[in-house]
Amino acid sequence: MVQTTGPNRPQHTPRRSVLAIGLLALVYPLLRFIGYEIPRKPNKVEIHKELPANGILVNSDFILFDRDNATWAVSRKCTHLGCKINYHETDNLLECPCHQSRFTIEGGVTRGPAKSNLTIYPVEKRDTSPYYIITT
Amino acid sequence: MRPVLMHVKARLIAPLLDYRWGSWSLICLYISIASGIVVGLQYDLTHPYYSVTALDLLVPYGEFFRSVHFYSSQFFFLLACIHFIAVFSKTDNYSQHDWVVLIMALVVGLLLLFTGYVLRDDNTGFSAGMIAEAILKNIPLVGNTLNSVLFSISEHGMQRVYVHHVITLDVFWLILSWNHLRRYRVKVTDHIPLICLTLGFCLMIAAPLEPEGLGITYISGPWFFLGLQELLRYFHPLFAGVIFPATFLVALLYARNQNRHFRKILWFIYIWLGIYALLSAIAWLR
Repeated sequence: MVQTTGPNRPQHTPRRSVLAIGLLALVYPLLRFIGYEIPRKPNKVEIHKELPANGILVNSDFILFDRDNATWAVSRKCTHLGCKINYHETDNLLECPCHQSRFTIEGGVTRGPAKSNLTIYPVEKRDTSPYYIITT
Repeated sequence: MRPVLMHVKARLIAPLLDYRWGSWSLICLYISIASGIVVGLQYDLTHPYYSVTALDLLVPYGEFFRSVHFYSSQFFFLLACIHFIAVFSKTDNYSQHDWVVLIMALVVGLLLLFTGYVLRDDNTGFSAGMIAEAILKNIPLVGNTLNSVLFSISEHGMQRVYVHHVITLDVFWLILSWNHLRRYRVKVTDHIPLICLTLGFCLMIAAPLEPEGLGITYISGPWFFLGLQELLRYFHPLFAGVIFPATFLVALLYARNQNRHFRKILWFIYIWLGIYALLSAIAWLR
């Protein structure tokens, strides 16, 4: 039976307070649990063909360059807000189509609003197929 | 000058306010839900862009049903906004609680529209989703959690967005609008011309879809997102994506005739809308 101290006013029992405090104590671990991002397992992408004469291959997640005896892969995720950047062959640069941040083909920022450089993925170059193995 | 304005208001604006915008909006929502169920039968959230393209190119009448779902949803939201403006002067008797609930229903309607865009996973949809994710992650303390619950496209693809588009937001909208819909009943049979007009329009106009292409220099977001997209160019995502839109929402919540600052709030809303329209125009013209 619920005790009342006034007209239609239920008294807050200690049991109810304990329950409320218990629920509140759960909020923080719950928020931490939901907000935690499990680090993604490294993904190895194999390229089974040789690159075209311009030495560039555009993948969904990265752009692979093989030029002047150097091989590198740049992430296509813009460091401003995550849109997918594109390679512009005429200007030889990378540009985000959402806010026009520009990067060098090595991933360095040359024009904002992006502030940090693009992620560079490790590339293993081989003489036989698969010719390139990119770890993203 | 004043009599001319009064005449314009009496002759042109007043009749517009009398139209049944709310009923039309609801009818469009019915069409949107029905076509959404049809489209959802062929939508594959593990290969979203592929399935949307297949809908347009391969599935018999797929292009038509997707167009119906797209445009009826747009009409639903636009008509709901016009309905809101048209009946604004008659809402003085609403309690603050009812008012807040209905404004939230509008916000949920906008989120439904937005998640629909994202689910296409084409150039516009994917970018809009990534931008939303980045904005949420910039909110201090709870940003990651919010993103994990609402979008998390980078980690889980379209899973969260799909669940919210198909279930969560719909249930929320229904709960928020329940009292309103109970009070104002709409008979579908009274709106046959509107249904025919919507279906006829969708027979002729396909829903947009923007494939990814090499060297694309500019992607413009959904029409209601354009102003925000432009603002994000100049300001930190927390200001452009959260604080700026939140000020408009708070102003709407307090825009009641009983409020002693009503005039000032109304002016703030006009100025905010003016700035947003200007930013949208700049983004659209780029």
